[in-house]
Amino acid sequence: MIWHNIKVGFHRLGSPPVFHRLCRVVAPWLWAGAAICAAFGLYKALYLVPPDYQQSDSFRILYVHVPAAWQAMAGYLVMSVLAVIALVWRIRTTEIMAMMGAPIGAAFTLICLATGSIWGRPMWGTWWAWDARLTSMLVLLFVYLGIMGLYAAFEDKRKGARVACILILVGLVNIPIIHFSVEWWTTLHQGSTISFFGESSMDSSMMPPLIWMVIATKLMFGAALLDRSRNELIEQDRRKGWVRQKLGASA
Amino acid sequence: MIPEFEYAPYVWTSYGIFAIIVAWQVIQPLLKRRRLKAELREEQALEEGDYSHDAQT
Repeated sequence: MIWHNIKVGFHRLGSPPVFHRLCRVVAPWLWAGAAICAAFGLYKALYLVPPDYQQSDSFRILYVHVPAAWQAMAGYLVMSVLAVIALVWRIRTTEIMAMMGAPIGAAFTLICLATGSIWGRPMWGTWWAWDARLTSMLVLLFVYLGIMGLYAAFEDKRKGARVACILILVGLVNIPIIHFSVEWWTTLHQGSTISFFGESSMDSSMMPPLIWMVIATKLMFGAALLDRSRNELIEQDRRKGWVRQKLGASA
Repeated sequence: MIPEFEYAPYVWTSYGIFAIIVAWQVIQPLLKRRRLKAELREEQALEEGDYSHDAQT
């Protein structure tokens, strides 16, 4: 019975008016949750956590750099799952979500690259190095931009989405390269300091702000994804009755 | 415990970039929705024969 209800609920999300309502209701709550988590995280990151004994205060950059990097990769994984669903079941709302994830993922990748570069200047003595982690992250940004460009190049949005979904799946190969780059090659970028299954080399007093910021970026991604998907749906269905009806109230 | 002066420009610039890009993620969909609504209202008015919206633009 529960499985049946989940299945029915999932299929109902394929209905544009239902999906639109879901986006409208859920997105503000996600933004509110993100704001609360970010407020806790930033307060702890900037005022409560003591400076690092080697890097001093510059280590505080990691509280925006690491969550952005993780979200850039997690966002891509979410897009890949959506792309598979879109290609197999041809659900239009899923196609839209897969496409709308790209600019948000690109934004988080940009944050990661910019903050990493800013941290690298005082710590490594250089803004940029062509090492495996940095380069593979730059490739991720180009993949995101490629998906956006490809989708925008098609007049037929559904066709564009299907082609871009294939590109998403091709680009998926870059995610393990990013993750394992610090193990496979000798890199200027440090190895993993945080482990979910083993012991982290990061001091436990420095962890809470990171956890808050990671949750905040997850919620931000979700909220922005729903907001952008809602707009794209309205734009695609602008001549349809349900959009005209909603416009009477509030689109 | 705010960042020391030596590293303060690096830290605050990083947090500033984060804030600006996240703020854009909030603002961009709102601006687009407002534009879409205006376009759709204009289209609807034109279809109904009301050309006052067209004259304003």
